Amino acid sequence: MTNRWNRLLAAPLLALLALLAFAGPASASGESVGSCMAEKLEELIEESHGDLEEVLHELHVDTSIGDHFEKNCIEAPSPILPETNEIIWGGSAFLILFVLMVKKGFPAVRGAMDARAEKIRSDLDAAEQARVDAQSVQSDYEARLADAKTEASQLIDEARVAADQLKGDLAESAEVDIAEMRERAAVDIESSRAQAIADLRSEVAGIALGAAERVVHASLDAEVQSRLIDAYIDEVAGTDG
Amino acid sequence: MADSRVAGYAEALFAVAAAEGDSSVVEDELFRFAQALRSDKDLGSTLADTGLPLARRLQVIEDLLGSRVSAVTTALVSMVVGAGRAAELPDIVDAMVERGAASRNKTVATVRSAVDLTADQSERLAAAINTRTGRDVEVRVVIDPSVLGGVVTEIGDDIIDGSVRRRLNQLRESFR
Repeated sequence: MTNRWNRLLAAPLLALLALLAFAGPASASGESVGSCMAEKLEELIEESHGDLEEVLHELHVDTSIGDHFEKNCIEAPSPILPETNEIIWGGSAFLILFVLMVKKGFPAVRGAMDARAEKIRSDLDAAEQARVDAQSVQSDYEARLADAKTEASQLIDEARVAADQLKGDLAESAEVDIAEMRERAAVDIESSRAQAIADLRSEVAGIALGAAERVVHASLDAEVQSRLIDAYIDEVAGTDG
Repeated sequence: MADSRVAGYAEALFAVAAAEGDSSVVEDELFRFAQALRSDKDLGSTLADTGLPLARRLQVIEDLLGSRVSAVTTALVSMVVGAGRAAELPDIVDAMVERGAASRNKTVATVRSAVDLTADQSERLAAAINTRTGRDVEVRVVIDPSVLGGVVTEIGDDIIDGSVRRRLNQLRESFR
């Protein structure tokens, strides 16, 4: 990461250094009108072998020279085509900068971009994975929810069936209990009736026997007692027939 | 222990009665008094009450038996009561009666009847029992109003019931 940032910073620094280094020569090519005319004048002086008087004279006689000076020095530069030295300096700087950018800047930028793209791709993959995971969790949750609903429905159905079964069992049990109670009641009634009859019979028998005993006791006088004893004696002896 | 004591007293009573003469009369009197004790619980408890002075109890015996039975019988009863065995007197008398009958090669037949049997009836009953069981018996009559009429004879463990009470009971059973 640090190496990549260094590369990114190196490219503009080199471009700035190149501009500073070649700015001077480039601005020198844009000479002023005075210097241009001085330069022309020096050329005339050299052509006149240093005779300034002669040069001034020619300028005075031949005005076309002055016009030539003005034409060559005052003429405005082309707004489209720069000066030659400017093209050289600028082109050189551009080439150098271009080479530097191609060699150093572009790989660094491309590496950073690749890393950035890789990171974005990784983040997208992670997001996709997270989305898939979330979808999976959601599917699982929905499946669980569906299972829970199904299970709850089954439980409700089972509870309803159990309730119906219990209801049926209770009804059946109640019917059985009622039948048993009726049977027991019938048995009890029959038993009570039989007991009442037996009690009544015993009571009647007691009354009848009591009356019979009183009658017998009243009828057992001495003669009857004697006859009973004699009859007993005959019975024991086996002569009673 | 109780059986041996009863047997001892019975043997003693029989020996005294035999020594004094006709033991069968004494046996019969003692037998009737023993049955009276069985039927009269108050009399039995009075004679057995050691809280009463012995003289008072002996006086009761004298009042009850003095003019009705032989002197030997009264003396024997007084002896048993004086010895503090009044509660066991009925069993003692039973054993004594059996002992006397055995001495005559006979068996005691206890006869329960609402009324007393005549001598002729007793003899005929003894003969009838002899005919039926093959045993010579001496009839001892016990007056029992609950019999109502007829006779119940007990010879050892054998019972011959010809009472009106039994017939009434049979009739009661037939109603059930």
